[in-house]
Amino acid sequence: MRIELKKFGEILVSRPSGREAYLAMSAYTTQDASENEPIEIDFSGIKVLTPSWADEVIIPLTKKFKNITLLNTENSSVKATLKTLREYSDLKI
Amino acid sequence: MSIENKLEKLAFEWLTASPEKTQMENEYYCQTRDIFQARLDRMLHELLREKSISEEDIYIVSAMTGEIGNNSFDHNLGKWPDVPGIFFGYSVSEKLEIILADRGQGILATLQKVKPELQSDSVALETAFLERISGRAPERRGNGLKFVKENIKSQKMHLTFVSGNAQARLNDGMEIIEIENKTSGCLAIITL
Repeated sequence: MRIELKKFGEILVSRPSGREAYLAMSAYTTQDASENEPIEIDFSGIKVLTPSWADEVIIPLTKKFKNITLLNTENSSVKATLKTLREYSDLKI
Repeated sequence: MSIENKLEKLAFEWLTASPEKTQMENEYYCQTRDIFQARLDRMLHELLREKSISEEDIYIVSAMTGEIGNNSFDHNLGKWPDVPGIFFGYSVSEKLEIILADRGQGILATLQKVKPELQSDSVALETAFLERISGRAPERRGNGLKFVKENIKSQKMHLTFVSGNAQARLNDGMEIIEIENKTSGCLAIITL
């Protein structure tokens, strides 16, 4: 299953919008997926990502699913955010 | 700290004005998070159109701006001392300057809720930039200012951050000094 983050906007910055995005994808996208299903999180098309938004989406996804791959992480704010999450939010991928 | 241009003067005036003079129709005042988000979107697209700084820096500085501005709303929601919302302005001439300010509780009062032993603005500011700590415990937060600090350094930008009587200046390193004029809330100036 691929989750295209650009479907939630190209500027992903606040915690409330991150929380809302996670609730929406839990209800409409990942609701039938098992914990072992391969999940691809696709960052293509994202211009601005912050640790606050990602903390509300990426971290809960990594707790719920065991087989996650991150795709198209070239954007500078995506790279910097993932670095911060690995350092301060125990992101392991 | 010294005031160096018109935008900084406007931010200081907004921070120190009586409450009834802060809520006027104003292109810099963002009463709600939605207004801030819309103006952040506009800044991003203006900077991308002008191409005066690299795309890489534009995305990073927009993310840092989003973190600092949203921090003001996250930590003062329902507890604004007088005026809700933030001042958000930017100018592009020889350099890009972005100013964010709020009239909230400030870093010390926010962090004292989870670390009551903090006694000064300067120690609180140092804690905010160096420790993974959040005034909204038990929620797991507190990585925003660390993100800002690391990217100020890696992208060779400058940040002045004032709260209470403490002023942090960040570039390659971080220096915190005490200043004479106490600022209620927070003031951040990013330059590159």
